[in-house]
Amino acid sequence: MKKMKLSNIYLFIVFIVLYAPIFYLMFYSFNSGGKMYHFESFTFDWYRELFQDTRLLIIVLNTVIIALLSSAISTVLGVFGAIAIWYVRKNYRKNLLLSLNNVLIVSPDVIIGASFLIMFTVLGIKLGFTSVLLSHIAFSVPIVVIMVLPKLQEMGSSLIDAAQDLGAGRREILTKVILPYITPGIFAGFFMALTYSLDDFAVTFFVTGNGFSTLSVEIYSLARRGISLNINALSTLLFLFTIILVIGYYFIVTKRNGRAVGLGARK
Amino acid sequence: MKKLVNAFLAIVIVSFLLIMLVNYLNASEGYGGGNTITVYNWGDYIDPELLDRFEEETGITVIYETFDSNEAMMTKIQQGGTSYDVAIPSEYAIEKMKEEGQLLKVDHSKIPNLKNIDERFLDLSFDPGNEYSIPYFWGTVGIVYNPTLLDGIEFHSWNDLWNEDLKNEILLVDGAREVLGFGLNSLNYSLNETDQAKLVEAKEKLETLQPNIKAIVGDEIKMLMVNEEASVGVVWSGDAADMMWENENLDYVVPVEGSNLWFDNMVIPKTAKNVDGAHQFINFMLDAEVAAQNADYVGYSTPNKEAMKLLPEETISDERFYPSPELTERLEVYENLGKKMLAYYNDLYLEFKMHRK
Repeated sequence: MKKMKLSNIYLFIVFIVLYAPIFYLMFYSFNSGGKMYHFESFTFDWYRELFQDTRLLIIVLNTVIIALLSSAISTVLGVFGAIAIWYVRKNYRKNLLLSLNNVLIVSPDVIIGASFLIMFTVLGIKLGFTSVLLSHIAFSVPIVVIMVLPKLQEMGSSLIDAAQDLGAGRREILTKVILPYITPGIFAGFFMALTYSLDDFAVTFFVTGNGFSTLSVEIYSLARRGISLNINALSTLLFLFTIILVIGYYFIVTKRNGRAVGLGARK
Repeated sequence: MKKLVNAFLAIVIVSFLLIMLVNYLNASEGYGGGNTITVYNWGDYIDPELLDRFEEETGITVIYETFDSNEAMMTKIQQGGTSYDVAIPSEYAIEKMKEEGQLLKVDHSKIPNLKNIDERFLDLSFDPGNEYSIPYFWGTVGIVYNPTLLDGIEFHSWNDLWNEDLKNEILLVDGAREVLGFGLNSLNYSLNETDQAKLVEAKEKLETLQPNIKAIVGDEIKMLMVNEEASVGVVWSGDAADMMWENENLDYVVPVEGSNLWFDNMVIPKTAKNVDGAHQFINFMLDAEVAAQNADYVGYSTPNKEAMKLLPEETISDERFYPSPELTERLEVYENLGKKMLAYYNDLYLEFKMHRK
């Protein structure tokens, strides 16, 4: 009993550390004083200002569009990439491919961003929506590969051998065996890519242009003169939005799987 | 499988709905039409109402982008992926861009409002004859301090920083020319000194300031001063104005020996597509009424003498931000000292930073 309590306290502290800055930020989005300290009085002014700022709204929408599209496309590319790597039989070749994939994950964002900038310049691609989308896809694909591969390894090859014995063609093996089995991995990869895309600054900074910008770049350029509290308001809304999504996702998953998931299964 | 396909389709559909929404918003703002200019400016450095007004008056749509440092801006412009029509760099950046051939000449005949600019701010060393750049805002380097924490200590001269009562109280901005500059100023030397003996003398004098220095910091100096974590700072006047706006206890002074005079000027990069629109924009920003409104919003000092007549008396009589002509004569603009001399400045500054106790 005592042990249980201690672990609860530990968990509680960890969650406070994780959430305190976010709640601090949310709290001051209601401050009429206009600063991040000394709370004056309650106000909705920053929210009102936020919705009147069309330029900022366009930037927020752009950010979401880029995140959704780039993670969807990179999920498709990444899943096939992972399957291809998994199918490689020779061990050294598989390791080589995996290492090449990992190099892209660990290489600094600044390098990736600058390389893309140079490439787009040489190819004569105009900076803007396309350039941002392409570079976001590029840095998301290796992440999806890494998220999907463990699921494939967990599946092993016996399932596929069995399917082949039962007369399944290549197409059927892919759509009826492999993809359903690795679906959780695919979703994990998608959401991982989504978060990477949403908060990437370094790569995006290099490849935005022609009036197209994302939230991270915009906030960064505001930082020099002090960030207005409508950014707090915006962050609050985005935070609530993601929380609602997560809760919704939780209910869908628990409803579908009934008691098979979570604590219920152990009883 | 079905779940995956459905999820994918849902994402694609949502994305396209959002794209349509963005297009609608863009159209309602008038972006994407034929006659547009792209303006590249520091974050929060213009009154957004003025952009709307410019669009109404000229029918030219403004695509507005922001940057946070001269270096970032130069990289973006040099790279050429975006056709920026107007950018607003600081004086040393203008000189560099000019040398690298990144700027177009400004056609003065298309900017009749140039007459509104005070002559003191024209024809300066970084751009003789204002061939490439037109003043936007200007300011100084000086001392910001908090009298409530200082118990009667006042600042008139750079030498007041060496006061023994200021132990561990002073914050400095992390800039080689700014810090060595006030060292030179305190000895009554020029900010653009190239005599190595004098520079070493300035460095040695700065080293005796070490006990008083609390930290050498970047942008966070604003927060530290506003939150009263330190009582004295050497900063740019623009930052000082921001701090004083947030904390009324603070005061700012440009020392009597003189100081640096800095500028953010409007330029037309070589990448510009709508050169005519760029000239119209520059001319618009120089209009007395517009410049006054902008100065009121941004809070920096305007070089526009007609606009100054429209500003509240208390603003322009504030000698902290509109120093008297006697003082401005002693203010110096940074000159390009050449790579070698700049490296020497940086070396001395580094030595100064390393000798901290």
